Amino acid sequence: MITEWQSLLPEKKLEKKYFGILKEIVIDSKLCSHCAACAAVCPVDGISSGDQPIDFPNWTEKCVDCGACIKVCPRYDYKPLSGLGDYIEIFSGRSKRFVGQDGAMVSEITVSAIEMGLIEAAIFAGRSEDWSTKIVTIKSPEQLKNRKVTGTKYSYADVLIALKEAVLRYNSVGFVGTPCMISAVRKMQKTFKKFERVKLAIGLFCTENFYRHDLYDFLIEKKSVNLKNVVKTDIKKGKFIVTLKDGRKISFSVKELEEIVPSGCKVCQDFSAVESDVSVGSVGSEEGFSTVVVRSEAAKIVADYLKEKGYAEISQTSVDAIKKLCDYKVKIHPYPKKS
Amino acid sequence: MIRVEKVELNLVESLKRHVEALGEAFKQAIKPDRVTIEYPRERRRYPLSFRGFIIFNSEKCVSCFRCAQICPANAIQMEAHSKPYPSIDYTKCIFCHFCIESCPTGSLNSSKIHDVAFRKMEEMVVSANMMVKLPRILKEEKFTVDVIVKDKYWKLLRKKEMDDLSIPPIKVEVPKKIVTCAEPESCLGCRLCANVCPREAITVKEIEVAKRVVSYVLKVLTEKCVGCGLCVRQCPMNVLKLEVVK
Repeated sequence: MITEWQSLLPEKKLEKKYFGILKEIVIDSKLCSHCAACAAVCPVDGISSGDQPIDFPNWTEKCVDCGACIKVCPRYDYKPLSGLGDYIEIFSGRSKRFVGQDGAMVSEITVSAIEMGLIEAAIFAGRSEDWSTKIVTIKSPEQLKNRKVTGTKYSYADVLIALKEAVLRYNSVGFVGTPCMISAVRKMQKTFKKFERVKLAIGLFCTENFYRHDLYDFLIEKKSVNLKNVVKTDIKKGKFIVTLKDGRKISFSVKELEEIVPSGCKVCQDFSAVESDVSVGSVGSEEGFSTVVVRSEAAKIVADYLKEKGYAEISQTSVDAIKKLCDYKVKIHPYPKKS
Repeated sequence: MIRVEKVELNLVESLKRHVEALGEAFKQAIKPDRVTIEYPRERRRYPLSFRGFIIFNSEKCVSCFRCAQICPANAIQMEAHSKPYPSIDYTKCIFCHFCIESCPTGSLNSSKIHDVAFRKMEEMVVSANMMVKLPRILKEEKFTVDVIVKDKYWKLLRKKEMDDLSIPPIKVEVPKKIVTCAEPESCLGCRLCANVCPREAITVKEIEVAKRVVSYVLKVLTEKCVGCGLCVRQCPMNVLKLEVVK
């Protein structure tokens, strides 16, 4: 029976409330990756995220100065991760049960993990008709038959906020996120024991992510494409490819998107989500396959299970291609920024 | 199958039966065995477990909102007084008395009043200060009727007296619970539990090292905690729990 306990506070680098420090050191310094970990842990639900920069309106009054946001922020005391990281095995796969961005291996791994009982539920970022993100809690394979749930959105989503709610409700959860989200969850797990219930962190290969409204406006103004008519977005070999409902494909160089790349992504060097349990992406695999980088023992068990059951076609991967992109991301996103 | 036997009727037997019937008729004519209670001239004596109009004791209330939370008819709203106190909407109340049973301090209590009249619909929302004593009682009855049941035998016993409609507050025998932290490793350090506590039973001590606050020490004062569970509901990480004290 514990009736006396202690909560340690992080060191204050500035004489402000903790959110003020986070705002100055991370958000205003353009380091914020928009992972929304701070919004997830904020005890007074004051931090807002969504399709706009992280903020806490009138934090001077409402912030309770607990320091939780600083404890979990992956960009506070930022030491960029890079490279391919440690892994147990790398293979390419194509799911026989699901249709996704490439080989639908994220769906396959999630469903296998649920089937095995490793996780009770998983948090996915789905989308609505107009490509605004919508968080979905996956508990059964049927939910992943919906193409609005699977596939890449290239927009910030409040996955971690939903993940925290899931952690309070379920004993074991999984989620899919960008490398910054994975790093944030690892920090959350280090500081708050409850997050050890996150048993499976599926990382996505990521070069950059966008605010949905920026992407929406860009496509309308520059390419006269309305996202509402789009069925798939993809980045392949330096090209951003938009597939429309009528089957037309519009592609242009990713470099054109440079102007809408959020500042937080410009300092990120982690392409392959090195802290994840398993990373998935298209780079390194042939068309229609996904590369799966298995990093933890738990993920290895899931990978072995889905191979044994024959849920996916397995193929060879070019590790060099992934390494090349890892290096490329370090090159285009230098940190500390050269002035 | 059960067959009813044919009654054997001889002279003696049927004479006996006639006398019995006449006797019963006489008895009922003089002192009838009425089952009906002639309300409002008579009133049945209700048991102490009767679920009637709810009485409120503001001194005991810790404003834990539990009554409002548990009310299945959503009839209880917390109203702002010096502290939040419950008000009961009698247009909704189903007299289940879950509120009374859930009250950790026994500040809600029942009464034997079931016949409450209001002039307007709006008046049926009874605020806490209207519940502290019994409403004004107009009595017409002269008799109080006790129903006596003993095995198969039962009868109504009418006494020329007025029943007291109040019910002495039952001593609450809820096991004493206090709040504990099940997983201090997950504490955010937000101190919302201490802020929300109506009894100031959770204290926060700031530990300073070189004029810098390095940690918060949260402590539950077991003698002050009434186990209302407000902090348990408030905790953003769900790490607080109520535990029974032996």
